[in-house]
Amino acid sequence: MLSPDRLALPDYEYLAQRHVLTYMEDAVCQLLENKEDISQYGVARFFTEYFNSVCQGTHILFREFSFIQATPHNRASFLRAFWKCFRTVGKNGDLLTMREYHCLLQLLCPDFPLELTQKAARIVLMDDAMDCLMSFSDFLLAFQIQFYYSEFLESVAAIYQDLLAGKNPNTVIVPTSSSGQHRQRPPLGEASVLEGVEASLFSQCLENLCDRHKYSCPPPALVKEVLSNVQRLTFYGFLVALSKHHGINQALGALPDKGDLMHDPAMDEELERLLAQVPGLVNSAPANPEAGCLPFRTPPRVGSPWRPLHHARKVDAESDGSTEETDESET
Amino acid sequence: MIPGKYRSVSGRAANNVNCGLHLVIQTSSLPEKSKVEFKLNKETPSFSGRLLQHDLERNYSSRQGDHIHLASSSMPSFPILQRSSEEKILYSDRLTLERQKLTVCPIIDGEEHLRLLNFQHNFITRIQNISNLQRLIFLDLYDNQIEEISGLSTLRSLRVLLLGKNRIKQISNLENLKSLDVLDLHGNQITKIENVSHLCDLRVLNLARNLLSHVDNLNGLDSLTELNLRHNQITFVRDVDNLPCLQRLFLSFNNISTFESVCCLADSSSLSDITFDGNPIAQESWYKHTILQNMMQLRQLDMKRVTEEERRMASVVAKKEEEKKRESHKQSLLKEKKRLTINNVARKWDLQQHRIPNIAPNQDRKVSDSSQDPSQLHGSTVSAFPEETGSLDSGLTNDLQGLSVTDTHLVEVDGDTLSLYGSGALESLDRNWSVQTAGMVTTVSFTFIEFDEIVQVLPKLKIKFPNSLHLKFKETNLVMLQQFNALAQLRRVDQLTIDPQGNPVVNFTLWKYYVLFRLSHFSMQKINGTEVTQNDMIMAERLFGILAHVASSELPQYRMISILGDARKKQFRYLLETKGKKPGLVNEENNDSKRLVGENTNRAMLNYTTRDFYNERLEEIKEKKKFCKMYMEDLVKEATEINMKNEALQKLWPQMFIELVRDAVIEIRNKNSYMKLCLQQITDQN
Repeated sequence: MLSPDRLALPDYEYLAQRHVLTYMEDAVCQLLENKEDISQYGVARFFTEYFNSVCQGTHILFREFSFIQATPHNRASFLRAFWKCFRTVGKNGDLLTMREYHCLLQLLCPDFPLELTQKAARIVLMDDAMDCLMSFSDFLLAFQIQFYYSEFLESVAAIYQDLLAGKNPNTVIVPTSSSGQHRQRPPLGEASVLEGVEASLFSQCLENLCDRHKYSCPPPALVKEVLSNVQRLTFYGFLVALSKHHGINQALGALPDKGDLMHDPAMDEELERLLAQVPGLVNSAPANPEAGCLPFRTPPRVGSPWRPLHHARKVDAESDGSTEETDESET
Repeated sequence: MIPGKYRSVSGRAANNVNCGLHLVIQTSSLPEKSKVEFKLNKETPSFSGRLLQHDLERNYSSRQGDHIHLASSSMPSFPILQRSSEEKILYSDRLTLERQKLTVCPIIDGEEHLRLLNFQHNFITRIQNISNLQRLIFLDLYDNQIEEISGLSTLRSLRVLLLGKNRIKQISNLENLKSLDVLDLHGNQITKIENVSHLCDLRVLNLARNLLSHVDNLNGLDSLTELNLRHNQITFVRDVDNLPCLQRLFLSFNNISTFESVCCLADSSSLSDITFDGNPIAQESWYKHTILQNMMQLRQLDMKRVTEEERRMASVVAKKEEEKKRESHKQSLLKEKKRLTINNVARKWDLQQHRIPNIAPNQDRKVSDSSQDPSQLHGSTVSAFPEETGSLDSGLTNDLQGLSVTDTHLVEVDGDTLSLYGSGALESLDRNWSVQTAGMVTTVSFTFIEFDEIVQVLPKLKIKFPNSLHLKFKETNLVMLQQFNALAQLRRVDQLTIDPQGNPVVNFTLWKYYVLFRLSHFSMQKINGTEVTQNDMIMAERLFGILAHVASSELPQYRMISILGDARKKQFRYLLETKGKKPGLVNEENNDSKRLVGENTNRAMLNYTTRDFYNERLEEIKEKKKFCKMYMEDLVKEATEINMKNEALQKLWPQMFIELVRDAVIEIRNKNSYMKLCLQQITDQN
């Protein structure tokens, strides 16, 4: 943490890079909006809750799209929340249309734009018949790529179009003369005969893009890995490969591996408990003695920031003394 | 001087034959059921005292008189009749020849004063040889075998002509019988009434037991008082109103089935006696009062006197029928109006949804892409309402209250259903509904109204129609699952019907489960007509249970409060806006929402704000956001400044420290001068 790099940046930029200001602004905004309610239990507690929820990834629930999109952390949290809430839909095996997935997204974020969902669907369906049904995992992975790296993907699309058209965006920056000669070749004839673009060429462009980019992009090494396997590829082919690449998934850190997408034992237990409460249902499932201890279960995954560290209520018990007064005043 | 061989009648044992003198004027034979009087005019005084009524067993009180002699004539087939002069003097004007087994009419000589001639019960086939009897007034040829009316052209004085029970096929050759008073043609084979128009003195016409299929051509019979048409095949009657004197009309045992086929009877003011028994019409339930109502002048119907009570009943029933007809006419008018209004509303809706081009007001039904739903192309919905059968039953007015039918919307209450068409209809919820009407409404149906608009009036609905348990939505633009969240604020919903037309949300695979999940506290019975099973509930919970759990347990406290607070705030806002708010109501709302929160806290988080509200809120927040941004910037600036200063201080501090120490040491070097300086400073201070 105390690396010299940290101090090398000017203050404002440092803050901006960590998106501290975004969260601070949002926190103050929320405070202003709900001051009557929050004044009941204290500003300090509010800030505690707020930043705890930011850590846990629950701060994006039912928030407006502009906030969700604001930081990579928000986006990742949103993806995780979506996975968590609707994993059961996928587990059930239902294949849904793009619109329905969009509907589900809107349940969590009322003003989520349709274009993003459409773009994600295009990746899954390879730009084909947009009314096709998609499986949950396919959609989720594609959506992850599309949403998390949306700006990156836009630039990639632009580059791809340029390459297709024969223009080379890299003529200015020529690392080696040999590759420059390669580029002199008019690729027009090639593009019309073969699909897509040359993988190596594409790869180089993307590398430069990653260097230049100020917003998040996938780890360049992994991108190179994706592109090294093929000779030529189309835009959507590239995106599909990205979405299915588990290394990128892991690097993102929002979702579990593809194989584990349907697994969430904690939530499953919770679900069983809820099902037992459905009125009229004979309680055949034995009451899980561990269910009561759910909040205290330590996660099998170490180091993941996503596991709920405490139940929301428990936070109070561990906060400093200043909030204890408000606890008593509530009862 | 009848030669023995022509005295043919003696063979008949049963009948006491006396064809001579008795002056029985026989009435024509009539069917068993009725007796008919022949009342002749007083202008024929010679018969007035001698009328006797007969039943079928003819009891002849015969008088032995002189015999009639039938002598042969020059023509071989015709016998010549002669009577003794005593008889001629005694009964100079009447001659009875019944049951004489006559096959032809005999020539009657020297009886030019004859006024009554009776040929009953013979076998005569043609009327002949009576042309000379020009004084004849009464001619009876009942029960013979006559096939054609003929030979009567000279009998200008004839008043009564009895031709019953013959084989006559048509009415003809009566031209000269202008004085005819009674014409009896019953029991023949007549198919048509004709050639009687000149009989302006005719009073009784009997055409029973013929082959008539209809009645017309009755003009000219200006004196007719009785017309007997029993036992025919009559299906309709016309021209009766041209008979100014007709009093009695017998139509029993015919084929009349509707009143329209005899409607001319209503126009006949003289009719007082009519029979219809044995006709199909008499079996109808409306028979009696229809006849009585249309023929107020009637005194007897089917041989029974028409009482005042019956007449009154008839008019009452007729009035009721009239009213019913008027009512149903009104209903159909109303229906038509409703249909037109609905069409209008549908068209407006389509315009709104950009489904049909704005320019064409005519029947151009082009389908155009709507920018919002490129994948949901709809045809115009007007075609779906060509004949709105609606929920109208054309019953009495109590069942139906068609209300405010204007061009742009329609509100209708039909028993237990409240139907709203068009967004203007939502305002009708503000009206003062009678408690009874409102209490009966269990189904509310919305058509051609944006769901977002409906959401805003749901609180009103809850209050005004507390028993509404079934909601129906058609063409209401339900596109998101989220919109169902709005229904949670209602008190209770048993059934939900979302018509696929105009509600794209139905195309989603999971919509039903979501509804069941979100509205689980309603314990809904049916969705779109299908019963909700336990499995459905379980599946719904399985699919979305985690969503609820996450929404409730993982949201920070302040968010929960703010979301819930929003919902409550909206309710309060509505309540404040309504006129005539009652404090009790406010508490109820409070309790309701509290109870709701208590029941499913986890689901209460899932709200629906209409797009407009949402955008409004975002707009409101913008100001705050700007402020926050500026505020944070200031803070950051301050912090960075302080940080900079801190860093600068860190850098400069060692140097500063050394300088400070040096200054201090230099100051204290000279003890004395330093002491003086200090004292000076102290005094200066004071």
